[in-house]
Amino acid sequence: MTTVALSEPRKSGRLLRNIGFAALPAVILLWSLADLTLGRELVQWLPYLASGFLMNVVISLSAMTLGTVVGTIFGILQLVPYRPVRYPVVAYVQAFRNAPHLVLIFATTYIFPFEIVVFGNYLPFPDWLKAVIGLAIPASAYVAEITRGAILSIPTTQWEAAKGLGFSRSQALRWIILPQCLRRSLPPWMNILASITMGTSLASLVGVHELLHAATDASTAVRRLDFTIIAYIVVMAAFFTLCYPISRLTRRLERRFNAGSRN
Amino acid sequence: MWDSGITSLFVDLTNRLGLNYEFLATGYEAEIWRDGFITTLYLIALLIPVSLIAGLLFAACLTSGRLWLSAPVRAFVEITRNTPTLVQLMFSFLVLNTFVSNLVGAQNNPLTPFFWVVAVVGLHIAALHAEAIRAGIEAVPASTVEAARGIGFSKLQILRYVEIPLAFRASLPAMVNNLINLVKLTTVGNAIAVSEITYASIMVWTQRDNVVSLMIVILLFFSIINLVVARVGLWVERKLAVPGYGL
Repeated sequence: MTTVALSEPRKSGRLLRNIGFAALPAVILLWSLADLTLGRELVQWLPYLASGFLMNVVISLSAMTLGTVVGTIFGILQLVPYRPVRYPVVAYVQAFRNAPHLVLIFATTYIFPFEIVVFGNYLPFPDWLKAVIGLAIPASAYVAEITRGAILSIPTTQWEAAKGLGFSRSQALRWIILPQCLRRSLPPWMNILASITMGTSLASLVGVHELLHAATDASTAVRRLDFTIIAYIVVMAAFFTLCYPISRLTRRLERRFNAGSRN
Repeated sequence: MWDSGITSLFVDLTNRLGLNYEFLATGYEAEIWRDGFITTLYLIALLIPVSLIAGLLFAACLTSGRLWLSAPVRAFVEITRNTPTLVQLMFSFLVLNTFVSNLVGAQNNPLTPFFWVVAVVGLHIAALHAEAIRAGIEAVPASTVEAARGIGFSKLQILRYVEIPLAFRASLPAMVNNLINLVKLTTVGNAIAVSEITYASIMVWTQRDNVVSLMIVILLFFSIINLVVARVGLWVERKLAVPGYGL
């Protein structure tokens, strides 16, 4: 009886989710068809908005790549038995895990110079790159915590078994521990990806041309309240279509891994 | 006099380290900056109860089993979780606020930017709380509920005496995480000119070009608040721990 009672809402839940996923685009489409002047205006501005959104994706992916590389190294360093190495890394992780993303974006934007000298050549240091670093810092702190947690979650007997098989500490880490960590840390890593992707909109506050900035530009240029509304709905829909699949996949993976670990 | 002595000593000492806190000795900028700290603390103190109460209401809707209650809240939760808070804030402030202004007239619109920050961030975190509480309720073992039913508890009594106490404990770590997010999210108020700490700091560093000095203080400030939130959360967790259940 309970199984019947459980499977019924789950089915309707999936239907609702699929409807929900299409709801925002449907609102945009229907509204622009209902009011054709609005629709024409929107179509005109869509390429501009799309170019902004591309910037969000670029910032998000570069920040995540940088953050993952640095974070993985820091996560391993947090467990190194030498205090002079460990303490600064732990301090870095604690400080930047607790810092607001906006504050870090401000910090990198205002502290870094607008151009850097490399071998006598002046290279521009654009704001979007600073935003990448500003978001990579918290991302690296989160990834470091995940890596540390994942390494600690592997039973110590495996280290001992690896030692018994003649692996060195770093070999054991590379060939036995880290591959298992990968699976455990994938769902939380994806959570961070979604959160950093949403954090890219903060770059609009330091003048990076991204989606929110583009939408604000467009709405000030058009000066129609209904266009402002629809422009922001487009912004929401864009972020939603990017982040919702990630969060659904995260939840599915979490469920599967939890079920796997229970056996 | 004593106070200004300490301030000037601090300015002097930090100056030797290459940090510039000279604005603290002036009246006006120092006041804006201190007000920024107080505004942020005030926002946090206001947002924590707002988010918890709204989160409980959302969770109640989500687990009510009635589709007309759970579906809208589910939609709200999913949209809130998967779109940036800044976009939600701009949308609320530029669109909803304009509607209210058109309705009652711009000069007697009672809704300030401060209100919108509280509303948007509060509801955003409430949505996250709701998910945590829902997961907690679902994590209550079916056998426990059955046992409670076996002793003759009614559905409401099971909720009151069995499910909610256990669910609250299970969802506490996630809720503390959300509260730390809440503390960090207060900075988005900067976008609509709520004079919280980042906004106040911009005021100062555009005048004095001492970004690094201010950043150190801001990062310390947020670290301390979040440390306190995490500690209090841990304390509550230990206080409420059920022997032999979970951790």
